[in-house]
Amino acid sequence: MPERVVLMIGTRKGVFVAESSKARKSFTLRGPFGTGVAVYTTLIDNRGAPRLYASSCNPFFGMKILRSTDLGKTFKETKSAPEFPKGDGRALANIWSLEPGAGKKDLWCGVEPASLFRSRDGGDSWEMVEGISNHEHARQWQPGAGGLCLHTILRDGDRIHLGISTGGHYLSEDGGETFQASNSGVGAGFNPDPYPEFGQCVHKMVQHKDAPGRLYMQNHGGWAEWDGPGGRRPDIGVLRSDDYGRTWRSIAKGLPTDFGFPIVVHPHDPDTVYVLPLEPATRTCPGGSPAVWRSENGGASWKKLAKGFPKKESYYTVQRDAMDIDEQKSPALYFGTTTGQLWMGRDGGEEWSCLFESLPPIHCVKVATV
Amino acid sequence: MGQNAGIMSATVFIPGPLREYCDGASRLPTAAGSVRAVLEELGRNRPSLYRNVCDETGAVRRHINIFVNDTHMRDRDGLDTKLVPGDEVIILPSVSGGR
Repeated sequence: MPERVVLMIGTRKGVFVAESSKARKSFTLRGPFGTGVAVYTTLIDNRGAPRLYASSCNPFFGMKILRSTDLGKTFKETKSAPEFPKGDGRALANIWSLEPGAGKKDLWCGVEPASLFRSRDGGDSWEMVEGISNHEHARQWQPGAGGLCLHTILRDGDRIHLGISTGGHYLSEDGGETFQASNSGVGAGFNPDPYPEFGQCVHKMVQHKDAPGRLYMQNHGGWAEWDGPGGRRPDIGVLRSDDYGRTWRSIAKGLPTDFGFPIVVHPHDPDTVYVLPLEPATRTCPGGSPAVWRSENGGASWKKLAKGFPKKESYYTVQRDAMDIDEQKSPALYFGTTTGQLWMGRDGGEEWSCLFESLPPIHCVKVATV
Repeated sequence: MGQNAGIMSATVFIPGPLREYCDGASRLPTAAGSVRAVLEELGRNRPSLYRNVCDETGAVRRHINIFVNDTHMRDRDGLDTKLVPGDEVIILPSVSGGR
């Protein structure tokens, strides 16, 4: 079967799957699956026969994980979802991230309240990862607006980066046995001490597979005008690390605002990174005019990409996991909005068009070639 | 539910969305003597159904209501509400919780 580009679109009312040929001229949509239930993360696992996963975060009946083995034509619940151990006292409130592990059937799952789980059988059974879930800081983390969520899991051999809101960046170098807070240079504008050891409101992190020492972070920015204790905190929102996340520095200069949620790296160039700046107070497109901003030099300078977007009257939010990029030779970006639009930016974001206009509010978007 | 057939005294009403976790049954017979015992019995005999009703701390999920006949258990003795023969324990999702 020829290769296809598959999108998973997690919404407030279930998950949709869109499919296209590699040319990406048009996408066909199917779904929703897990109808009526919010989906905050998806995974297209194409290690071997493709498996599609979606969290199904049911406010009535609890958390489930849905799995499809027919490329998103049907979904079934896995045999179990992550659960805190008996006596722990915490109860799962949401599932925020699903990532493949090292083994063919290994999965990692980040949840709310911020904790990490691991499956070794494709999602049918789960064990809590003690090193972060029972970290000495864990009971001191505070929820952000989206809850206390472990939303980012980046793996590079035995090195694992976690993003927690509001906990910060945690790094393991022993395969997840132990984790250390690693937030040098990561600001927390909402804290009297703007550079605490932990407690930052990290929104998203990304890493390029060919340059694992380089990481990018969209942190909770929007503090350029702060005049309280500690003084102004400009440009703490968009950051870069060149030492595996041990230290971070701002790359926000040149952006219209350093506030935003998603951050995406080009599949073929670790120096090319994309953000979607939002107005800090309203968390919507600045001036009602959407734009993705791209840097091709690791954040030294930025270019506005807005061809095809409305020039006014667009006041949506793009959430932390709602932007992704495919791996074609000339990759396309995709993002979903809280107003239910799914946008595609061809040629690395040079020209944008709306693929779907009226989906439910979109929480997350993933793309893969299968 | 099942193993005590013959001495059943009450029934548990299962709402539509949860029937896939109990082979499509809309009602399950029970010999349990209280709401708490009903839930414990579900945990033993219908663990996947139980997980939809209670979280891993054992608490009834926030947006689930449990009635005994026409009275919410909170207006009686909560989980310790006693059951008598003929009672119906009704599990219902609340009108809150969805957006």
